[in-house]
Amino acid sequence: MPWSNQSGGGGGGGPWKPGNNNNGGGKGPWGQGPWGQGPSGGGRGPQPPDIEDMLRRGQDRLKQALPGGFTNGFALGGIGILAVLAWLASGFYTVQPNEAGLNLVFGEFKSRTSSGLNYNWPYPIGRVVKLQVTNQKGLDIGFRTRAAGRTGSSQVDVPEESLMLTGDENIADVKFRVIWQIDPLAPQNYAFNVRNPDETVKAVAESVMREIVGRTEIQKILTAERKVIEPAAQKQMQDVLDTYKTGVKVLQVQLQSVDPPEQVIAAFRDVTAAQQDSERMRNEAITYANRVVPEARGMASRIVQEAEAYREQTVADARGSAARFTQIYEQYAKAPRVTRERMYLETMERVFSNMNKVIIDQKQGSGVVPYLPLTELQQPQSAPANPAQPRVQPQAGGR
Amino acid sequence: MRNPFTGFAVLAVAIAALVIGSSAVFTVGQTETALILRFGEPVPGRSLVTTPGLHFKTPFIENAVYFDNRVLDVETPKQEVLSADNNRIEVDAFLRYRIDNALLFFQAARTEQIASNQLASILNSSIRRVLGEQSMLQIVRERERERIIEKEGKKVTLPSPMSQVTRLVNEEAARLGVKVIDVRVRRADLPTQISERVYSRMQTERQREAAEFRAQGAQRKQEIEAKADRDVTVLRAEAVQKSEELRGRGDADRNRIFAEAFSKDPEFFEFYRSMQAYEKGLMGNSRMILSPDSEFFRYFSNPAGNTTPRPPRAVPEPRAARP
Repeated sequence: MPWSNQSGGGGGGGPWKPGNNNNGGGKGPWGQGPWGQGPSGGGRGPQPPDIEDMLRRGQDRLKQALPGGFTNGFALGGIGILAVLAWLASGFYTVQPNEAGLNLVFGEFKSRTSSGLNYNWPYPIGRVVKLQVTNQKGLDIGFRTRAAGRTGSSQVDVPEESLMLTGDENIADVKFRVIWQIDPLAPQNYAFNVRNPDETVKAVAESVMREIVGRTEIQKILTAERKVIEPAAQKQMQDVLDTYKTGVKVLQVQLQSVDPPEQVIAAFRDVTAAQQDSERMRNEAITYANRVVPEARGMASRIVQEAEAYREQTVADARGSAARFTQIYEQYAKAPRVTRERMYLETMERVFSNMNKVIIDQKQGSGVVPYLPLTELQQPQSAPANPAQPRVQPQAGGR
Repeated sequence: MRNPFTGFAVLAVAIAALVIGSSAVFTVGQTETALILRFGEPVPGRSLVTTPGLHFKTPFIENAVYFDNRVLDVETPKQEVLSADNNRIEVDAFLRYRIDNALLFFQAARTEQIASNQLASILNSSIRRVLGEQSMLQIVRERERERIIEKEGKKVTLPSPMSQVTRLVNEEAARLGVKVIDVRVRRADLPTQISERVYSRMQTERQREAAEFRAQGAQRKQEIEAKADRDVTVLRAEAVQKSEELRGRGDADRNRIFAEAFSKDPEFFEFYRSMQAYEKGLMGNSRMILSPDSEFFRYFSNPAGNTTPRPPRAVPEPRAARP
């Protein structure tokens, strides 16, 4: 495409020879000639037929207007003038709003142009470099995203970029992205100062991130320091790039992921799990304590209350018994002998009425005892025995 | 114009002028420095062209060679550096330089490719020399940091290792007509087999940490539970203590009350209490073998009453029903 690249005839060692072009034929600052911008771009691409057409028409008109003898000379002159005009007109070009134009005259950088219609000397005297100064570029380090069909993009790890030594001789897996753009205030630096600006950004980014990670401990990198590393890396990258005058503005450094290396990630996760386990055990213990201690308090309270109840019951019982005794005694004191006898007999009556009794007259025959049918005597015992028991028990506890 | 040869002559002259003119003129780009060579040798005095733009030279016998005046890069392949504490570390460095003196550059190196190779080997040897005096940790942590040391009682600031490398490289590179702007370590990694060892160390460290966490958890669990158990025991014991006190007080009150009441007539009390005891103690469960001689039967066979009363004799119940 001889038309799209002005520098094609630069004469051996021109600044834009293909070998020097860092863009590898991409859409970088030079791949896109100043004339590739459509109809308003001065028109070198589609122009030649038009010019010829114009010339031919002009020639025809001249032939009509002038006598035949002069036609040749005037025609030649006219062609020359028109050619020069057309050549000069080809110096117009447009700069898009996201671009900055750099005018070169005989290879020398003369001026910067902003968006709109601009003019510079046409080839071979002048050249225009257009840079996309407002486009933000993302640079992934430690991973690459690849478009994977319709589903989106897949991430491919680049471990040799992402694995870094930390300040405590551990290895961390740091993946990050650098967002940068051509400095709109100094695009000429980007264009003219550094041969491989894009590659330089990458090299500096890697170097700076490794330096920062290299003086930080792994635990800090994995946790708290993330928000410290990002601005520090951005600033340091900018400083280094400024010393090279790259004309690059680092907008942001984003840590995509900061992990322990794959080989040990399970162990790191286990530490987290262990922390959780520890917390769980503590909670279990607290649960146990919270259950057992109040229960014990309740139990203690019950024991005390029971004792209190016992005390009060005992005292009340005693008071009652004492009062009863006192009452009886007062009556007894009035008629001791009769009362005593009556009490004895009444008691015996009650005792014997509920009791199996065997009356043996020892004087008449002591030999009877061995013949007592003991098995028979035991039989009717179980039925009345049980209801009688509860009446006996409280008194037994009292003692 | 009449002669057709005149046209050819004009054309020929024009072409000749163009050829000579184009040979006399050359442009130097914004990013270039040019060197005018006469028969391949630099022309003394006016050989170097550093300003961009249109320049002239003697046609045919002189030609221009161009050098890039931008910041150029040299990358070294990974090389192993033995640190002062005998650790091997793989260093991957780059430098950025500018052709400072194109004349010297042309004489010493001729082409960028040659210069680049030479710079790479200078860089490698400088890195080995400087970083070889540092410990591995210093290489990793402090390669860009200045160090302050005590020297003969005075504080001396040592330049950072990498700026020492830059200085060394610059000294060597000066003969190539280049100026090294910066030398940086892109990567400083451990060789693969050592990395594996670092991984296993990291792993064991984490395992240790995890075990510690779990043990701490178990410890705290035991502590809390033991404390709870202690509290339970103490609470119960205190309650029992209080309970015994209360019961004792109750019993004491009881004794006092009884003593107060019964001491009015101890003899009657004995009788009264015995009656109660007989009634309760012999209720139902008992079987009694009585003698007709007992006090109860005083009037049983003799309406006048027996003279010698005998107390009834209680026989404990044989407990066949209970084990």
